[in-house]
Amino acid sequence: MRFKSLLALILAGAVIGGTTALAPAQGPKVVKIGDLGSKVGVFEGYGKYQSMAIQLAVEELNARGGVLGHTIEVIVEDDDTKPAPSVRKAEKLILQDDVKLLVGAVSSGATMAVMDVTKKHKVIHWNAVSCAEFMRTTKFHKYYFSNQPDSRMQANGLAKYILDKMGKRVYIFYTDYAMGQSDGRQFKTAIEKLGGEVVGVAGAPLDTKDFSPWFGDINAKNPEVVFLAFAGTDSLRLMTQLHSFGMTKKYRLAGIDCFLLQQDLPAIAEPMEGFVQLAHFSAYNPDKNMQAFNARFKKRFGVDANIMAGAYDGLMFWATAVEKAKSFDPDKVAGAMEGMCLDGTHVGRQCIRKEDHQVVMDMHLYQVRGGKNIPIAVVAGSDTIGEPMVGRDPVEGFTWEIKKKN
Amino acid sequence: MSSARSWPALVVLAALAALPLTPFMTKYYMLLGFDALLFGAVAMSLDLLMGYTGLVSFGHAAFFGLGAYATAVLLERGVLSLWLGLGFAVLVVGLYALIVAYFATTRRGIYFALLTLVFAEVVYTFFRYTQTFGGSDGIQGLPAPYLWPGLAIDTPARNYYLILAYLALAYAACRVLVGSHFGRVLVAIRENEDRARFLGYNVQRYKMGVCVISALLTGLGGALYPGRAAYATPDLMLWTVSGELIIMVMIGGLGTLVGPVIGGAFFIILQEKVSSYVDWYFIVIGLVLIAIVLFMPRGLFGLRRLLTLRPWRATA
Repeated sequence: MRFKSLLALILAGAVIGGTTALAPAQGPKVVKIGDLGSKVGVFEGYGKYQSMAIQLAVEELNARGGVLGHTIEVIVEDDDTKPAPSVRKAEKLILQDDVKLLVGAVSSGATMAVMDVTKKHKVIHWNAVSCAEFMRTTKFHKYYFSNQPDSRMQANGLAKYILDKMGKRVYIFYTDYAMGQSDGRQFKTAIEKLGGEVVGVAGAPLDTKDFSPWFGDINAKNPEVVFLAFAGTDSLRLMTQLHSFGMTKKYRLAGIDCFLLQQDLPAIAEPMEGFVQLAHFSAYNPDKNMQAFNARFKKRFGVDANIMAGAYDGLMFWATAVEKAKSFDPDKVAGAMEGMCLDGTHVGRQCIRKEDHQVVMDMHLYQVRGGKNIPIAVVAGSDTIGEPMVGRDPVEGFTWEIKKKN
Repeated sequence: MSSARSWPALVVLAALAALPLTPFMTKYYMLLGFDALLFGAVAMSLDLLMGYTGLVSFGHAAFFGLGAYATAVLLERGVLSLWLGLGFAVLVVGLYALIVAYFATTRRGIYFALLTLVFAEVVYTFFRYTQTFGGSDGIQGLPAPYLWPGLAIDTPARNYYLILAYLALAYAACRVLVGSHFGRVLVAIRENEDRARFLGYNVQRYKMGVCVISALLTGLGGALYPGRAAYATPDLMLWTVSGELIIMVMIGGLGTLVGPVIGGAFFIILQEKVSSYVDWYFIVIGLVLIAIVLFMPRGLFGLRRLLTLRPWRATA
């Protein structure tokens, strides 16, 4: 019995206490930041490019002496694209690693769950890709900042182009979780407001393998344009299947900014030919700021940058704010970041709007030609960002009901 | 439980209670400890079915998730009493468990497992697509519940002690149950269901009983989760979570109660730690689990036999 109890004690101790052996050692004059993103799975590409953008920013900042004399160290964690692991990893980054800035997550559902953690523990939180509308409205908190154009901004920027140039009868097909639902709501609202007709809406679960069950309804509704709110490997599968059903030729296609990364396009160039999307960055945009950033990125990693370059800006804004506040204190840093303008981001000069901490960023419309995102128009950030709606539902009274036009 | 048999458990409990007083137990490790002990306790509840009755449930995540949603729905509406949350969870999970148990226990083996899986998938799909419960994003941003007005469970230490109390009570309940006549009948059913029936036992009623008890213990564990995590999402009910619970029982040691607690804690900590260092962490976890199943068929708890063996003596 003595041995049993001894063993039980050892096991219990090993279970909880033994893990400390794996905890990384802390050195003096180091400030840590957390990189939380999908490293495997449906959004793997976004998480990996987020890490690269952060790494580039850290190397540049450290080469300039770090922040407040502290060398920046990045702790990378995989959010598993789900809220539960995201929360656990965010807690680990904040409570164990003591990060002063958390960048992430990738999936909107995960990012919203992480927002509760960053709010509770008062940590500056930068979102560089999640686009659900609620993050700068009902879920907003003072430590949260973003330069990702959310659903409302994308709808404001793209809906008019769709109706003017592509067609009036639109079918909205979205990935059925926070991001896609949010995009679906905003685009339906915007298209109907601008006089277009939404002929059908449908949602497919995240990580759907076979989209063909939804194709019958799309064909039955006979739209001119199919708007797609998907991302990552979902988008790859969807486009391949739409193409094999002849639907990429039959309909005009448009999608959200994170539909596919530039790196995915060459492999799927034929199905994507003519696809229209609105995004803040493309390596094929002749804008001198984008080209300058892309050159640095390509020199460092050997590949073009993409929309995940927004994570780079997160570090730059935070570091500038820390220097301005002369402190890592989250309240002081958040205060310094509010309304801050910064030159030298991945798209040149950007400003953070004070009211909802959203970066006001010009949006570019791109069309895929030969596997490249070619710019076709620019929409001013001030025309897309919309009014601040902190604490309010941005589409109050919204309904998925299809309104028939006479 | 006799005092002679229960004192090792009390020693371990005391050691776990003393852990937060040690310097290495940061807030993060207390929250990780919460998850480890919670899933350990839930795996122990599943062991009542798997280890003692021979019934493999592929739907235990639904009980856990329903318990979590029961509390989350109340917390979202400003009902912060932990006791009301637990009571509501007992009601919701109990009703669901009765339905599942009634139908599933009419079948044996793989058919029982499949029925539990199908029921769980129905519940998952319902919550996944019902916007009243937040759809795929679930209910997020929940406030902390209180034990009584003025004592909110809002710190990692309080959450840790809450889950430790739950584990202790659940363990005591399970230990009493498996040591009772009811528990011995369960073992008889596991060993030879037909013979138990011929002896006059209403086998389905016993199986229903243990199903509901196991589900309630799991649901109570789930009910404690939103207070710590501030959310409840459909992912908690996914079949993969049920699969992980089965793995926890297997690696801990089937039919031991203590083993699944160790297995659950081991799995959670392994997952947490390995995923911080390796992207494809589930491959590493899979290899570890394969090694345990191959070389430690009695699970981690079976290791104690190595220490209880008498010293080797040379013979003349």
